[in-house]
Amino acid sequence: MNQIRRDWVSKTSAGVILGFSLAIGLAGLFAWLSPGGLATPNKFQLVMWLIAPIWLTTLTLCFFFSSGMRAWLWLGGVNLLAYAGLFACRLFLR
Amino acid sequence: MRSDVVRLYKVVHTWTGITAGMFLFIAFYAGSITVFAEPLARWVSSPAPVRLTALAQSDELIARTLAARPDAAKEFTLYLTDTEDVWTRLTWRKGKDDKTPWSAELSPAGEVRLAQSYRSSLADFVDNIHRTAGIPGANDIGETIMGVVSAVYAVALVSGLIIVLPSLVKDLFALRVGANLKRMWLDAHNVVGVVSLPFHIVIALSAVVFSLHDQLYDALDYVVYDGRLKSVMAASNPFNSIKKDERPAPMLPVNTLLERVKAASPSFVPVEMRYRNAGLRGASVQVWGHDTRYMTRGKGFAVISPVTGEIANTDYLPGREGTWTGVVATFFALHFATFGGDAVRVCYFLLGVAGAFLFYSGNLLWIESRRRTERRNGGPVIQKTSTRLMSAATVGVCLGAICAISITIVAAKWLNGRVANIDVWHNGVYYAVFVASVLWSFLRGAAAASVELLWLAAIAAAAIPFTTLFSWTSPALGMQGSASMAALGVDLVALSAALCFVWMARSAAHRVEYGPADSVWSASHRQLQEDAR
Repeated sequence: MNQIRRDWVSKTSAGVILGFSLAIGLAGLFAWLSPGGLATPNKFQLVMWLIAPIWLTTLTLCFFFSSGMRAWLWLGGVNLLAYAGLFACRLFLR
Repeated sequence: MRSDVVRLYKVVHTWTGITAGMFLFIAFYAGSITVFAEPLARWVSSPAPVRLTALAQSDELIARTLAARPDAAKEFTLYLTDTEDVWTRLTWRKGKDDKTPWSAELSPAGEVRLAQSYRSSLADFVDNIHRTAGIPGANDIGETIMGVVSAVYAVALVSGLIIVLPSLVKDLFALRVGANLKRMWLDAHNVVGVVSLPFHIVIALSAVVFSLHDQLYDALDYVVYDGRLKSVMAASNPFNSIKKDERPAPMLPVNTLLERVKAASPSFVPVEMRYRNAGLRGASVQVWGHDTRYMTRGKGFAVISPVTGEIANTDYLPGREGTWTGVVATFFALHFATFGGDAVRVCYFLLGVAGAFLFYSGNLLWIESRRRTERRNGGPVIQKTSTRLMSAATVGVCLGAICAISITIVAAKWLNGRVANIDVWHNGVYYAVFVASVLWSFLRGAAAASVELLWLAAIAAAAIPFTTLFSWTSPALGMQGSASMAALGVDLVALSAALCFVWMARSAAHRVEYGPADSVWSASHRQLQEDAR
């Protein structure tokens, strides 16, 4: 098996930037798809609380990617899926 | 786990740990004390100069105060307890940051007495140190930095776990005390880290949220809520549950309102009532209190109409919250130790101190890994500049914060009522001691400074119970120590801390004189002898 590449800058930036946008996207999906939808009173606090665990889990584990390039591609792909879902929610659930 | 992955995570752990370690040490040490903020507030309080109005006279007090000062009707607070940190029965202030609130009491003759006084809280000061790690400047700067530090801390936690995972079963409960000191410190660091990992994960994640929630809400508003988050928040605001109505209306007695709240939640213990728009039909009262049966966000509250007596909102009443606020209340409780009563608070205090140890030992391991060892029959060694500086910084910052907090606590009691603006003094004393300790550590070197600052820490901690002793034996000092169990608990904890510091100072002194000379922890004259040999 290939040696894992260090790629500090590209892996860390993938975790910080794409991890954060992924966390916002998934928290947003939760806000739309959990009971009551986006405007349910009092739900926004829990939605905000979801960001930190998702973001930091991604950031912590992204050093497992074998290279920084793979980290950006994989996380970028998952981001695209999350934001496609968010866009669909906006379009169909409004 | 592949060994190259473990090696990579070792680097992650080293650099996240070393950048966040000292900030976290201060935050954890001050946070442990903040768990017992209320006993600390009671310890530092002098009995109120005016006797508190009897609770039974609350209605009369409210009516007479509002007659004398109609401007108080907009918002005032009635305190329901009689502990020594409660300084008045009724108070109101102009805005949130007003440090000189008004207070009202009834004289024995039934006359209302109004006073305005400077209020400040030592417990809040220690809490600020906890939230900002003592980073000077506006609070939000320190909090934002600590939010980032907490995120780095979360990465340090998980990377640390990944490193120990392969040898977890073998190494976890092996504390190899012996000649290999580095091994022993590493074992201790690992066992404390793994055993308290759930606590640390909870604290790291919640600290990120507490410090960065404004920024997180802004991002959510922009991306998800499309700018509508403000209106969602307003719709959720419990204070908006009573409609504005400016027609005058009589208010129900305090006791009736408390009975209604009791009926809604029998185990809820009210401690204060915050009135808004008193005397109008749209008036509201937030009844704040504790409920040890539930996981709460510190204090919980119910909103009740003082005109109709109807409970208007229970979103924040322990046990009566809805799903959404209930879940979030659990997260708050897990950070603030506001569940399970004193037993859980004691555990959190110990976990917090253990956390401080974790960061301190982490720095020691960083230094020890970079140590230059003396070769047999080889020449003397000079330690790297980086380890000498890091050891001085670790000693100065960690012990400096410990000394500074103790001395600030003692000074607060001695200065209480003697100085005009005690906040300036809290800050002045804390930063003077902290900065002096750090400078001292760099000046004297880590070895000598560790012993000296530990003695200072011992003396400063011992000064807390001695202050209480003085206040009892010399009433002329006018300090009037409290004799409640809560306040005595502060003295007792401080005394045991002082004894711990004495023990640590003595063993540090032993290491300086008799430990290996090829170390940043040995006396400089011994290092020089080595050079001369």
